[in-house]
Amino acid sequence: MDKDAPAKAIIVVALVAVVCSSLVSAAVVLLRPIQLNNQLLERSRNIMQLTGLVEPGQALDDANMLALFKSLDIRIVDIDKGEFDDSLDPHTFDQRRAAGDPNYRVSVPAAQDLAKLGTRSRFAAIYLVWKDGQLRRIILPIRGAGMWSMLYGYLALEADFNTVAAASFYEQTETPGLGDQITRPDWLAKWRGRKVYDDLGDPVFAVGPGRIAPDSPAAEHRVDALTGATITGDAVTSLVYYWLGPHGFKPLLNRLREQPPTQAATAATGDS
Amino acid sequence: MSLKQTVTTPLLKENPLTRNVLGVCAALAITNSLTSSLIMSVAMTTVLVISNATVSLIRHHLPSSVRLIVQITIIASAVTVIDQFLTAYLPAAASTLSVYISLIVTNCIVLGRAETCAMNTGVGRSVLDALGNGLGYSAILIIVSTIRELFGNGSLMGVKILELARDGGWFQPNEMLMLAPSAFFIIGFIVWGIRSWKPEQREQPEFKPLVAPREVEGQ
Amino acid sequence: MNGFIEIFFRSVFIENLALAYFLGMCTFLAVSKQIKTTLGLGVAVIVVEGISVPLNNVIYNLLLRQGALDWMGLGHLDFSFLGLLSQIAVIAAMIQILEMVLNKFVPALYNTLGIYLPLLTVNCAILGASLFMVQRDYTFVESVAYGLGVGVGWALAIVALAGLREKMRYSDIPEGLQGLGITFITTGLISLAFIGLAGIQL
Repeated sequence: MDKDAPAKAIIVVALVAVVCSSLVSAAVVLLRPIQLNNQLLERSRNIMQLTGLVEPGQALDDANMLALFKSLDIRIVDIDKGEFDDSLDPHTFDQRRAAGDPNYRVSVPAAQDLAKLGTRSRFAAIYLVWKDGQLRRIILPIRGAGMWSMLYGYLALEADFNTVAAASFYEQTETPGLGDQITRPDWLAKWRGRKVYDDLGDPVFAVGPGRIAPDSPAAEHRVDALTGATITGDAVTSLVYYWLGPHGFKPLLNRLREQPPTQAATAATGDS
Repeated sequence: MSLKQTVTTPLLKENPLTRNVLGVCAALAITNSLTSSLIMSVAMTTVLVISNATVSLIRHHLPSSVRLIVQITIIASAVTVIDQFLTAYLPAAASTLSVYISLIVTNCIVLGRAETCAMNTGVGRSVLDALGNGLGYSAILIIVSTIRELFGNGSLMGVKILELARDGGWFQPNEMLMLAPSAFFIIGFIVWGIRSWKPEQREQPEFKPLVAPREVEGQ
Repeated sequence: MNGFIEIFFRSVFIENLALAYFLGMCTFLAVSKQIKTTLGLGVAVIVVEGISVPLNNVIYNLLLRQGALDWMGLGHLDFSFLGLLSQIAVIAAMIQILEMVLNKFVPALYNTLGIYLPLLTVNCAILGASLFMVQRDYTFVESVAYGLGVGVGWALAIVALAGLREKMRYSDIPEGLQGLGITFITTGLISLAFIGLAGIQL
């Protein structure tokens, strides 16, 4: 057949399309388990760092870490009502998927949308860290639009629901070397001990401006800005405001302050 | 051209980046860290080899009307597969490189080599040509990223080489090198260097004064 | 409507694909010698972005994304990994079709734009816009604004650079730096200025 005949063109294109898409699909199917395992490991590593149950720098092998992670007390929160919701399985709940699901999605009013989310999931999976029967930390998922990308992270608060215990950002594609400094451990360590609410109970935590002198009054609520990353820093400020504000976790935290949560019977104590 | 020349010519003489201005986007965006550059180089060279080999293999059956779209499909598949491999085995690197791995598809070097070389050359030589171009591109990426990471952050591949002033050392990093525009300057100077060394690569000036410039009277 | 205008202006000036994201640089540096040529190229980019981004938006939202196939009872399938493949194929096919249609019905326009169209298949600004559109979860209307915006932004940037290069012809540039070298450095300076605009809130 002539090389340039239309029939030949269609056959060649169809063949190439079939071969290429099956190769791609095969790669995806074969690699998906490894990718999912990576994601789970990555997620548990992120959470475990924030629980305070693992010493910083303490090496944990993957199996141990997964075991510890699975023993955490995970709860599903109805963010709008500010209370726990037992109707969803916390181990299979996917907040990111829920944010796109019409059944779970709520839109964020423009005036309150500091984190530039547009819509968010009505539910969130949060983690309660217990030790010796006492609530030590609460880990809240946070996210918001940065300069280039959506920033995903966690904020761990002490049991007073006001003092930052730890924070992390586990997914972002900010400017390499500038905006992506938000993942620098030494910077995140500075968050520790900052109070996120002022005396009136309004969120006040902020990044910058500039370097915050440790003995200045501002140091109670602020951490140093990052060089060359003003916009990403401002985005972090905004998203923390949003998630700790009235449209975020504030109703839940207020409720927990009045009625402290009780340890779920199934959750491990973490006494070890 | 001998086989050896097929590989060596694109390294300096016909370098895809400094001579033919191809594939600039990635060179600017990811060269602030040597690790990213190395991974990008490997990914890029692999895609080049796969696409050149495949296109060369089926070149006699490719109708010219749908040539481009078939080449693009092959390249995009190779890129997707490599992207999947990276997310599976090097998740950290894959998340740093984000869309720039996907953008290898539109890196003109890949399509350019498929079109100019693989479409009318045998498989073996096409692969060598792909290797040469991949290496030539990688060389520039590695040079640029070494300069940027060493002087912009005092480290190489994440390992501290120069002690930074903010950590109590002596080296005050040039923060501008961490910004993408600095790659423009570095590549610009590399081009200048190569052309001073190899004058045959120079471009003819677009405008020549008809008379020699002379001092304006009265000044 | 507000969102529409905001996305448009944001993508023209603040998140300029050429000067803030450095996409489409190969064409940007190689084809910016004369204002006249860049005008033609610029219009071609606006047209292609304006069609391809919304088109990819429709395809992604109706076929590929997780849950997109709910209407067929296949809501659990997630084809988003085919996103890249489908986007580039759509772009390549669309450009080829556009070329044929122009050639047949508007030959005058084809003569001015035609030569640039094939170039745009491998322009990362075109593919990049579609990738960003998916990443940012734009709706259809937003994707129209975004597509047009990035097109206009890119066109403006290349015309501006061509303007500079036309003037620079009369400058006394060191021999080795002439042409490519000085273009790199000029673009670097323009984009440094654009960094100052990054992240401005509208």
